[in-house]
Amino acid sequence: MRAMTTLAVAAAVLSLGAAEVKAESLKIGIIESLSGAQTSTGRLFASAAQYVIDQINADDGFNGSPIEVVEYDNAGGTTGAADRFRQAVAEGVHIVVQGASSAIAGQITEDVRRHNIRNPGDEVLFMNMGAEALELTGEKCHFYHFRFTTTAPMRVNALVSAMSEEGDLGSRVYSINQNYSWGRDMEEAIRAAAEAGGYEVVDSDLHEVNRIQDFSPFVAKIRASEVDTVMTGNWSNDLLLLMKAAGDAGLDVRFGTTFLDQVGNIANAGETAVGHYIAHLVNLELEDEAWVQDYEQVTGHVPVYIEPQTVNAMLLLREALSDLDFGGEDIDVTQIGLALEKATLEGPNGTLSIRQEDHQIVTPVVVSRIDEGAKYAVDETQWGFVPVKVVSAEEAMYPVQDSCQMDRPD
Amino acid sequence: MLEFIIISTLNGVTYGLLLFMVSAGLTLIFGMMGVLNFAHASFYMLGAYIAYSITRTIDFWIGLLVAPLLVGLLGMLVERYLLRRVHRYGHAHELLLTFGLAFIFEELIKLFYGDFPVNYSMPAYLRFPAFSLFGADYPFYRLFIGLVAIGMFVLLYILLSRTRVGLVVRAAERLPSMAEALGHNVPLVFMGVFGVGAALAGLGGAVAGAFFPTNPNMALELGVIVFVVVVVGGLGSIEGSLVASLMIGVFSSFAVGLNWSLARLLDLVGLGDWARELGGLMTLTLSSISGTVPFLLMLIVLLVRPAGLFGERN
Repeated sequence: MRAMTTLAVAAAVLSLGAAEVKAESLKIGIIESLSGAQTSTGRLFASAAQYVIDQINADDGFNGSPIEVVEYDNAGGTTGAADRFRQAVAEGVHIVVQGASSAIAGQITEDVRRHNIRNPGDEVLFMNMGAEALELTGEKCHFYHFRFTTTAPMRVNALVSAMSEEGDLGSRVYSINQNYSWGRDMEEAIRAAAEAGGYEVVDSDLHEVNRIQDFSPFVAKIRASEVDTVMTGNWSNDLLLLMKAAGDAGLDVRFGTTFLDQVGNIANAGETAVGHYIAHLVNLELEDEAWVQDYEQVTGHVPVYIEPQTVNAMLLLREALSDLDFGGEDIDVTQIGLALEKATLEGPNGTLSIRQEDHQIVTPVVVSRIDEGAKYAVDETQWGFVPVKVVSAEEAMYPVQDSCQMDRPD
Repeated sequence: MLEFIIISTLNGVTYGLLLFMVSAGLTLIFGMMGVLNFAHASFYMLGAYIAYSITRTIDFWIGLLVAPLLVGLLGMLVERYLLRRVHRYGHAHELLLTFGLAFIFEELIKLFYGDFPVNYSMPAYLRFPAFSLFGADYPFYRLFIGLVAIGMFVLLYILLSRTRVGLVVRAAERLPSMAEALGHNVPLVFMGVFGVGAALAGLGGAVAGAFFPTNPNMALELGVIVFVVVVVGGLGSIEGSLVASLMIGVFSSFAVGLNWSLARLLDLVGLGDWARELGGLMTLTLSSISGTVPFLLMLIVLLVRPAGLFGERN
């Protein structure tokens, strides 16, 4: 008897759920690392996405109702991400947003691809905000994956061009990176840019990700190879510890980095960070002051690290949605994907758009130097990111990878 | 080559001494209570954060002094009000309790200090090279970390082996009921040991946090390695911890500089080129897996001497 009642209640709840789906609102699932080691980054992706979604909802929402946002904690691992993805699909999510970690993005994009093959007409779209592994727009590329960040060649080429113009590159370069998809991409890009940059890659290292506490042996190795510049795609502790160890040993080299703008890095590295370079998507100094201030008002801080690029991605989505009207009926995710391909956004450094062949964002890259006198000093220090060069989208882009064979819906 | 050996040894030894600072407390607590304290690295993190707060408001040296005391006090409270309650249910419960505590400490730190690393650094007058070696500066602070660790070891050793307090502690460790029958307050001794163990970790955090980044992940990052140290050294043995820390420090340091791979080994028998063509595992260099060295060491020690280098129960 008891079981029967439970069943009846469950059925009632289920049918209620089904009834709700009828008047369809767009559901965005943010599957991020909201606990564990990558919380700091995961949280930023989530809050930046929320910022734009709140704006859309303050206007009219989409399809006659506000956009719903659900946050899922993948706990920093692929297993967690796969579980949360299943949950998100069960709860009717249309668009998945994720950014921290290429490994997790690799899991999600494969899950999305499989889901879409098995459920035609009920697709899910994946907005990749920060995972830079080349394979995501290479052999793993598919129509429902969109990447809104750069890749290793984009960052390295920009760094090389800006640093050599500034006369800070030198002719001997050391490459040190983390031993996984992203770090390997970086190493390859650093080697590939050698000829154009007029340097020689003297030595290179791939080390484990965030497991090394003491980088002084690596610094000893770098010193022994007598290089002018160290290029690294390291992030988080791996970057901070490397630069601190180099600073403490009085190593006289220039660093070309990609993630030095992670919050807390400059404060922690202190003087050690000054004079080094970073290639990133957005430098706030070049941005429109109005939105920076608005962001600060809403969230309590100026946009940092990967927040600006996430905001841009969501603005592109808003642009895409503004061209669509399902008249309150079922939402067709494929149509959103097609609209997203055509969406453009005017930024201070040029137009952002999506490359149709592999769904890589076409974006300029900014190279900045850590120095005094930046408009926005970071981490309560006197230092900030002084823009050195804007590399235009045309110059920064890399060719579509041959391995990307995209099945298009049209 | 000489340069490589000297610099690698120096780097390895100072890093090893830091590891020892944190693992000494852990092994002490284990030897005493038979409990692997999963929250131990959290005490290390708390030490760093408390020292950071005090450095910001008062002074670096006071932070260095007060942080271990506060962490030690917290350790005692944990033992008195949490661990003692679950003690009679057996080790599994104690283990799970400390496991849970580690998560709670981490989230609390995030709550109060945010997700990002905080700016805890040594005062500027400590930031100078102690000496120059083959053109490389050797930071004074690294020596300082090493000296603190050595001082700690000597004090601890004398305390345990030469004083009356040490006698009681060792008695309570070996035969608790006998020590109790002789009129010693064994629960108090347990509380004291747990407190001292936590305080040692706190001191490690206060000293090392100024050199390495102080962030909410630092417990996680060091936690695993510290367990490896304790297992390799032999659970409960302070000397074992010291030797194991130094071994891990020096081995990891040397591994980075050595571009050894299976392919190079096969060169000796003329199969090197064939191996390089195979790629994969064959061309994996030692430097790229230097972070795995401690675990490799643990594996070998466990196979050869399951009780650890200095462990008693073989």
